[in-house]
Amino acid sequence: MQLIGDSLVIGLTEHAPLVLAAIGFALLYRLTGLLNVAYSETVTLGAYFGMWVNTTFDLNFYAVLLPAGILAGLVSVGTYFAVFRPAKRRNVGTLELVIISFGLSIFLRYTLQYVFGYPVRFYDVPPPQTWRLLGTGVSTFRLLALASVAVISLLLYWFIQKSRLGLQIRALASDEGLAQASGIRPLFVTVLIWFIAGVAGGLAGAFYGVGSSVVPFMGWRQFLFILMVVLVGGTRGLGGVIVVGAATGVALAALTLELGQAYYAQLVLITGFVVYLKWRSRRVAETGKV
Amino acid sequence: MTDLPDLATKTRPSIRIQNAVKSFSGRVVVDIDELNLGDVPVEGLIGPNGAGKTTLMRMIMHSTSLDRGTITLLPQGDASGDGIELSNLPSHRMAHHGVVKSNQVIMDFEKLTIWDSLLLSAAAAKYERPHRIFSEDDAFDEASAETERYLELFGFGDPAAFAKAAGEKKLLDIARCLLLKPRFLLLDEPTAGLPEETTAKVMEEVRRLAALGTSVVIVEHNLDVIWNLCDEVHFMAEGRVVMKGTPAEIRAHRTVVEKYLGEGHV
Amino acid sequence: MNLDWLDSFLIYGFFTIVIVAGLGTLLHLQLGLARMANFGVVGFFGIGMYAFGILYVKVDWPFEDPWQFLVCALCGTLVAGIAGLVVGWLIADMNEDGVLVGTLGFATAVFILATTEKELTGGAQGMGGLNFPFDVGGVKANEAAWLIVATFVVALIIFYVWRVHRSPYGRLLVAVGANEPLARSLGKPTFRIKLWLFAISSAGMGLLGALYGVNERFMRPTNLGVDITLAAMVALVLGGSARVWGATVGVILTVGFFDIVVQNYLPVPREWYSQALPVAREALFGAALILVLMFRPSGILGDMRRDKLMRSLHRD
Repeated sequence: MQLIGDSLVIGLTEHAPLVLAAIGFALLYRLTGLLNVAYSETVTLGAYFGMWVNTTFDLNFYAVLLPAGILAGLVSVGTYFAVFRPAKRRNVGTLELVIISFGLSIFLRYTLQYVFGYPVRFYDVPPPQTWRLLGTGVSTFRLLALASVAVISLLLYWFIQKSRLGLQIRALASDEGLAQASGIRPLFVTVLIWFIAGVAGGLAGAFYGVGSSVVPFMGWRQFLFILMVVLVGGTRGLGGVIVVGAATGVALAALTLELGQAYYAQLVLITGFVVYLKWRSRRVAETGKV
Repeated sequence: MTDLPDLATKTRPSIRIQNAVKSFSGRVVVDIDELNLGDVPVEGLIGPNGAGKTTLMRMIMHSTSLDRGTITLLPQGDASGDGIELSNLPSHRMAHHGVVKSNQVIMDFEKLTIWDSLLLSAAAAKYERPHRIFSEDDAFDEASAETERYLELFGFGDPAAFAKAAGEKKLLDIARCLLLKPRFLLLDEPTAGLPEETTAKVMEEVRRLAALGTSVVIVEHNLDVIWNLCDEVHFMAEGRVVMKGTPAEIRAHRTVVEKYLGEGHV
Repeated sequence: MNLDWLDSFLIYGFFTIVIVAGLGTLLHLQLGLARMANFGVVGFFGIGMYAFGILYVKVDWPFEDPWQFLVCALCGTLVAGIAGLVVGWLIADMNEDGVLVGTLGFATAVFILATTEKELTGGAQGMGGLNFPFDVGGVKANEAAWLIVATFVVALIIFYVWRVHRSPYGRLLVAVGANEPLARSLGKPTFRIKLWLFAISSAGMGLLGALYGVNERFMRPTNLGVDITLAAMVALVLGGSARVWGATVGVILTVGFFDIVVQNYLPVPREWYSQALPVAREALFGAALILVLMFRPSGILGDMRRDKLMRSLHRD
C-alpha cells in the first residue's frame, strides 16, 4: 500500500516535467506531423536559459520560469524558420526530416556549450522546503512542477479543444488547403504551435534543471521517453499524452522502488513500450498493399 | 519468377466471391452475392465509373478489407482441392499462389532500370539470397529468353535505362506481372495510356497466356479491347453485377449498356 | 621496422576512420538500400564489443590467443547478429517512428545494461583486460598491426557490399527500399528480407565493436554514446547513402578531416584540444547532416547509377 502511495507521489512530482515535455512534443508531432528529435534541445535550452537568468540577474526560480519558457519558445520558432520550413519547401521526405532533426539536435547540443560553457551548471536557489505528502517527502520545487504541469495541461487542453485559435490549429493540422481556403493564416498558426511547443519544453527543462544540474545532455536523456509517451498516448489526443505521461512517471517510480535502480525501471518500461507499439502496429494490419 | 506449378496442367484456377460487401463512409460500393471468376480463359469487367470494379479488384487482392463475405481461390477450378481464402493471405503470398494484379495507377521502382524490373520478376528466387553475390550472370542468363522476348515484344528502348514516360512505366508494370507466370491474372485498366500498337501486343500476349491455362480478368474502359479479347463479360453497376454474358450477348442489350456508358460504345 | 614517422595519434585516427567506414557501409545496407533508419548503430556495435569483452576476460578458456580472440570475436558477432534478429523482427514492419523507437531503445538498453551489470561489465568504470591477440614488438607496432587487421575486415565488408550491388540480392534490396508494397505484390517476402538484412549487418557492426574494444584494450559505457551512431550516419549521408563507397568517402571528409588533419597538422591552440575541438567536431557533424539532406540529399557521390551498372554488367 505504501508502495502505491510512494509511487504516486514520487512518480508524479519527479516526472511531472516529462508530461510537460511530452505535451510540447505531441503538439509538434500531432499538429505538424513532424517527429522532431531536436525538440529535446528546447528542454535543455530551457534549463540553461533559466539558469542563466537566475544566476545573471539574481532572480528567484519562480521569476525565471517565464523568460526560460519564452526564450525556449523563440528558439523553437527559430529552428522552424531556419531548418524545418526550408526543408519542407524543398520537399524533403519524412525519413530525411527525422535525420535532419537528429542533426539539428546534435548541433544545438554542442553549440550551446560555446555559449554557456562546458562545465556542469547549477541553479542558484535556496534549498527547497520539504513537505510531506502521503507519507513521502517532496520538495516544493517538485510540487510546483506538478502544479504547473496540471495548470498548463488544462490550459493547453482547453486552448486546443475549445478556443477559436485552437480550432484553427486543428483545422490546419487536418487539412492545410482547406484551412487556408477558410481564411486561416497557416504561417501564423504554425508559428504559434512551434512557439507553444518550445515554451512547454523549455519549462520542462527549467524544472528538470532546478532539481539537479544543468548539462548539455539533459534533454537528450529524456528524448526516448518523451517519444514513447507521445507515440503511445498521442493517438488519444492531448489527453492521452497527459495520461500516459503521468502513468509512465508513476510506473518509473514504482519500478525503481521495486527493482532498486532507476536504470532497471527504464529498461522495463522501454521494453514494455516497444512491445506495445509492435503489437499495436500489427493490429493495424497490412496497409499499403498495392 | 515464383516457383509455380507447371502451367501445362490445364485445370484453370477460379476465384469464388461470396456475399462480399464493402462500404465506404456508409455508402455501399460493392455488393456481390455470388460471382465465379475464371471459368473461361478471359473475362472482362466493365461498367461506369463508380461501379465498384476497382474496389472489387482490390478486395480480391485484399488491398481493401471486406466488410462481409469471403473470396476464395480455387487453384484447380471447381474440381477438387481446398480453396485458399485470399483475405487471410499476406500480400506477398498472393503471387506465390499465382494471383497477380497489374496496377491502375503508375507504380514504379524509381531507381531500377527496365532490365532490373524485368529480372525482379523473371529471375529465379533462389538467386536473391544474401550469400549468392556472384550469381548475377546465372540469374540473367536463365531469364534472358523471357526478358528478351518482352523487351522486343513491347518495344522497350534501352533496357539499361530507366522507364521514363508514363506509358513505358505502365507497360513495364504489365510485363512484370506477365513474367511472374501468374495462374490468375487481374488487369486493372491495362491499356490506359498505351498507344494503339502496344495495346494490340499486350492483348495478344494476354491471349497467349490464357490459352496456356491462366485465368484472366480485365477491367477496362476501352470496350474494343473487351469485345475482342473476352470470352465472357460482367457488367457492373452500383456495386452489383447486373449482366453477364458473351460480348455478343452484352452488346445485344445495347439500351442497358448505353444507359450506363453513354452512346456509341456498343 | 622503423615506425617513427607513424605516431600513435595517427594510427588511432586511421583506426577510427576504418571502423566508422565499416559501420557506415553496413548502415548503407540498412538505410541506403532497404530504408531502415537505424538510430541505434552504437547499440549493435556496443553489444558486440561487450559480448566479446566479457567472454574474453571473464571466461577461463582452455586455449590462448589467437584462438581465444577468434572464438570470443565470433561469439560477439553472433550475439550482435541475434540482437539484430530480435530488433529487426520488431522494426521490419513498423513505420519510421517505430523504427526510431526500436533502434534507439535498443541502444539505450545496451547502455543501461553495460552500466548496471557491474560484475559482468565493470559498470560505469568499464573493464580492461582486452588485449591484442598477438605481440609483434611493442605497443605501437601492435597498434599498427591491428590497424591492418581492421582495414582488412572493413575491406571485406566493402567488397561484400560492392558484390551485393552487382547481384540479384542487391536488386531485391533496392526494390524493397524503393517501393515495398510493389515488391510484395511481386511475391517478395519483404518482412523476412528486411529481417535477415538487419541481422547480418548488425552482426558486422558487432564484429567491428569487438575490434574496437581490443584497440582500446578497454570497454566502457562512454564508448556506447550517440556520437558513434552520428559519425556513421554523417559519413554515409555526406558521401552518398545509395553508394557503395559513400560511407568511405564521407568518413574521410569528416573523421579524417577532424581527427587527422585538424588534430595533427593544423596549428590549433593547445587548450582547444580537450573541449573546444571535440565539441566543434560534433556540432559540425550535426550541421553537415542538416545541410547535406537539405541541399544535396544524394550526397557527394550522388545517386545510384544502376543504368551504368547494368550496362557494364550485361552489355556484351
